[in-house]
This record gives sequence, C-alpha cells and structure tokens, in this order.
Amino acid sequence: MKNLSGFALGILTAIGAFVDIGDLVTNAVVGSRFGLGLTWALALGVAGILLFAQMSGRVAAVSGRTIFEIVRERLGPRAGLANLVGSTFINVMSLTAQVGGIALALQLASSVDYLLWVPVAAFGLWIVVWRTKFSVLENVTGLLGLTLIVFAVAVFLLGPDWGSLARQAALPAVPSGEQPATYWYYAIALFGASMTPYEVFFYSSGAIEEKWTVKDLTRSRINVLIGFPLGGLLSLSIAAGAAIVLMPQSIQVTSLSQVVLPVAAAGGKVALAFVIVGIIAAIFGAALETTLSSGYTIAQFFGWSWGKFRRPANAARFHVTMILCLIIGIAVLLTRADPVLITEYSVVFAAVALPLTYLPILIVANDRQYMGEHVNGKATNALGVGYLVIIMVAAVAAIPLMIITGAGA
Amino acid sequence: MTDLPPPPQATGRLLDAQLHLLDRSVVDRNDVPVTTVDALEITDIELDAPIPRGAPAPVITALLSGPVLATRIFGGRPPRSRLERIRWSDVTDIGIVLKLSVDGDSLAVTWVERWMRDKIIARIPGGHHDPE
Amino acid sequence: MILNDLLGLDVFDDRGERLGKVLDARFVLGGPGRAAPAGAAAGAGAGAGAGEARLEGLIISPHSRHSYLGYERLDMNSPAIINAILGWLHRGTFYVQWDMVERVTAHELHLRTGYRRFDPRLPPTPEGEGRP
Repeated sequence: MKNLSGFALGILTAIGAFVDIGDLVTNAVVGSRFGLGLTWALALGVAGILLFAQMSGRVAAVSGRTIFEIVRERLGPRAGLANLVGSTFINVMSLTAQVGGIALALQLASSVDYLLWVPVAAFGLWIVVWRTKFSVLENVTGLLGLTLIVFAVAVFLLGPDWGSLARQAALPAVPSGEQPATYWYYAIALFGASMTPYEVFFYSSGAIEEKWTVKDLTRSRINVLIGFPLGGLLSLSIAAGAAIVLMPQSIQVTSLSQVVLPVAAAGGKVALAFVIVGIIAAIFGAALETTLSSGYTIAQFFGWSWGKFRRPANAARFHVTMILCLIIGIAVLLTRADPVLITEYSVVFAAVALPLTYLPILIVANDRQYMGEHVNGKATNALGVGYLVIIMVAAVAAIPLMIITGAGA
Repeated sequence: MTDLPPPPQATGRLLDAQLHLLDRSVVDRNDVPVTTVDALEITDIELDAPIPRGAPAPVITALLSGPVLATRIFGGRPPRSRLERIRWSDVTDIGIVLKLSVDGDSLAVTWVERWMRDKIIARIPGGHHDPE
Repeated sequence: MILNDLLGLDVFDDRGERLGKVLDARFVLGGPGRAAPAGAAAGAGAGAGAGEARLEGLIISPHSRHSYLGYERLDMNSPAIINAILGWLHRGTFYVQWDMVERVTAHELHLRTGYRRFDPRLPPTPEGEGRP
C-alpha cells in the first residue's frame, strides 16, 4: 500500500500548513506591508514543524499511537479536553474557511452565486472523505497543489532587485507607516500558522493510515524534509511577489485577486491558469486535512475506532463526526460570515492548543516504553525544549497583541 | 531527588492508576479500538469506618467508560446504572494500550458505535465497502 | 467503588496533620486470572487474563495534584530540564503502603500511627514488557 510518490503525506500536510486559504491571504498581506521582513518568523515556523512532525511520525511508526491519544494519556482528561475544545474550534473553523474558499473559486469560474456552491463544495469534500483511499487522496491533491510553484517562478520572472529583497529578509525592520506591535502580531501569526496543531494530528494519523512501522523512519524523514521546506518556500514566494508588485503601489490585499496579481503580472494568462488550478487543489487539500483532523482528534480522545483504512461501517462515530463538522461548516458559511476572519480569531484557541500539543509529543518521544531505542537524542531534546519556550512566549503574547492591533489592522 | 528508602520488593508487576491505566486506549483482541479508560472500579471500601489491619486490599474489578468521564473532570459521580464496564478479567495485556481478550462488538460499551453503524452509516450508500 | 473517589483526597496522619493529597494509586499484578469468577471463562478466547490487580499503596504529594507526566519512573528522565522541573513540582512526594491506611471518608484519608514513607519512584520494567 505504499504510494507512488513516497513523500505525498509530507507534501499534503505542508499544503494545509502553508498554503491554505488563510495562509494565502496572510502571506500576501505580510509581503505587501512588511516586504520580506518577516522571513525569519516563517523560517522559525518551518524548522519547528519539521522538528515536531518528524517526532510525531517517529512516535506513530514505532509505537502505533497518534498524537491525540498521547495528549490525553499524558496530560490527563482535563488538559486533554481543553486542548480538544481549542483544537476542534480551530479545525472546524479552518475547514469552514477552506470550503468557503473552494466555493469562492468555483464562483469565479462559473459566475454562479457563492452560496449555492457552498453545499456542493462540502458534498464533494465529503464524497472524497467517504470513499477515496488515503493514498489516492494525498497523491492527487499533493501533486496538483505543487503547481503553486508558479508563485516562485513568477518571482524570478518579475526580475526583482535581489539585493534589496535579501536585505529585507536578513535585516528586518518595521517599515514606516507600520507599528511594531503589528509587526510582532504578524510574526506570531506566521509562526503559529506554521505550527498549527492540526498539522501534527494529521501527519501522525496519516502515518498510521499508511501503516508505517519502524522500517519507515527514513521515509518519514524524507517526507518532512521535502514537504515543509517546500511549503515554506511557497509561502515565501507569495510574500515576495506581494513585496515586489503590491508594496511599492500600496495595494491592499483584500481578496484572492490581489494574491494572484503578481503571478498575472509576471506570466500573464497562462501563469494565472496554473495558479488557479494550484490554489483550488491546495485549498481542497487543506480542506481534506482539516476535515480528517476534526475526525481524528475527537475519535482519538474518546478511544473510538477511526481511519480511512477502515470501512466506514467499522469507524461509524469517526465518520458521523466528520459529517457533523461539514454540516456546521455549511451552516456557518450560509450566515454569510467571513470564515477567513473567523480563522484569524482562532489564534486565541491556538494559544491554548499549541503548548498542550507539543509538550506531550516531546515527552512521549523520550519514553522508552513507547519508543524502545528510538527515543530522542540530546540535540532533538534541546531544540524541542527551545521551541516549547518560544511556543509559550508566543502563546502568552498572542492575545494581547491581537487586541492591541485589532488583529493586525 | 529524594532520600526516602525504596519500598519493600513487590511480588509482581507494579501499575500506577494514573500512569499506566487511566486515559489509556483499550483495544479488542483484533486491535480495534474500543474506548479509553475513563475510570476504574475497585472493590468497595467501607467509608468512615476503621479498616482492620490485615484486611484484604481492594482489587480492580472493571474498566469504566462513558459519562463517568464528565464527572471525573468536573466532579461528582454518575449513578451506578450509567456506568459502562469492561470486566477486569477481560483485560489480557497491559502495555502502551490495554488489550482485551474479547471482540469489541460483544461488549456493552460499544453500543453507541454499533447504533451509529446500524442507524446512520448503513443508510448511506457505500458504508460497507472498502475505500477505493 | 470508583477509584477516582480515592484520588485527590486530603491525607492526614494520626495526629491530624495534613500531609498532602493522594496523587496516584499503585497496584500489583499477581497470579494469572485468580480473581475471575465463574462466568469469565465464557468466550474468553486465547490467553489468560492479566491477573488480579491488588491495591498496594498510595502516592501522596504535599504540593501538587498535577500529573507527574511519566517522570515518576526511574527510567524516564529526559529532557533533563523537564525532569528537573517536575522533580521540583513533586518535591516531598512519598509512597505509603495501603496497610497503613486507617480510615477513608468522603473527603479525607487517615493514616495509622507509625506509617513509613518510601521513595515513590517506580523501578524500570523488565525489558520487553509493555512493548506493542
């Protein structure tokens, strides 16, 4: 049951991590307002998720246990429930945003009203979750999503001043017209978006879906080493394109049209066609990731049977949960609420969920009863502890900064 | 960390409730998940009465699951009739997960799963097929 | 009785001095399937049960009701800084034998005169136990 491109899981996880609809917009906003001055925050996030996804993959492959089981087992039911509530809110709101994104893209392509596309998009998503094999799901969306490389190509075609871009990245400064508080808000937002808990929930459950064992540890390493840096590169390209095209003209990013403007400017209609395919595939992939993560987290907390490798009849509560989440998503979108806005406020829940997710992973990765000889080395532990400190600082600062800056206005 | 003496040598394998048993996953004999251990049932201890020295110690009689989780988090206890039990004698292996010697379907605790399977999943086409 | 009624109880010695709260309960596994009553054999499939799990003692903590996160095992000690933090949070934690419990009420647990405090940490399990 090994798939064709052995690193599809890493790529699909990274797509949800770096180029879902929230990230597409945020990266363009950041590029248009701060240039490449927040590259360090993105890089920090890429390294962090790489470290912890690799740990999660290793724990799943060696012990057969997934992250949310471990969260509850280690932290107990109270902290586990707090994490579950926070993570479920993030999962469901992200899922809602992605479904909205798919509906928006379909509206652009067809001029049929967005609200009519919402149930169609949700139903299409459900059919894939219900019937498609996990490996098909990851291969198709992963490969199609890679067409987003056109963002990177566009940056080259635009022939920018590389020295100036490099200086922005290496010597970050708050541009005139922006507040330091807003700069730091976006730094935390980028870092938090890179390390959103549903990425490790999905990656570790995906490892079990793919039936990874101790023999697949190298495969897991390849997956994270290819997937997440690639995802980070795509994010960076979006920001760079915005820095080159939007920033000098102070163009505000309010929708996907501004996000793809640099690509259209660089490569015309052909490039635009590629990027639209990529965006739809990426948002669909992110939608799959968040839908499945919603099911994984709840089922694993309560000990229900789960998994796409089982027939729906043998994982009934898992599938019912996901159906309910999709229905909630449709309901929220039908109120004409702006889901991208809601995902920004889910920062509040991320502040709770992030430390309560990554601490148990680090601890269990050191537990010989789970890992045998595959426990963390000293370097991994040092990095892990370092990241926990950063995560806690970010968690404490996130909500005050969100209030002060009005969520980055 | 501590200068206390070690306790007398144990006569068997030691299990701490919070560490090894509570909140652990329970799987049936085919490794299909059944539930998580929400609470443990032990033989009764008489409250408010002195415990005679040398009286037999309580033993674990069952794993508990279900509404008892809410009371464990928030306090209180559910009435005896609402407790969902898995007999301790059905537990065959205690490792990272607790393994049972029986099929999940034969247990009372899986009634919600079976209900959902029969009432909801069975009504949707394709529910009994392997994914393709 | 539900084990959780014991966890978190305030613990007092024979002079009424408060020692802390019950953090965990330690059981010892003894003998295969001894506690199984008549009906247990039916449908039990392969393998004997795990055996009777008898309450051996309690872990009492003066400071913390929170989980030890696994670090109460002697073979669990990395990352070093987390181990150190948890050791400090649980300073003064000790183990007491169940024999030494004189009385249990709804909110309190009283120890007998002459109880002894032991090191609460668990020795490493033998190789091969507990692996999937």
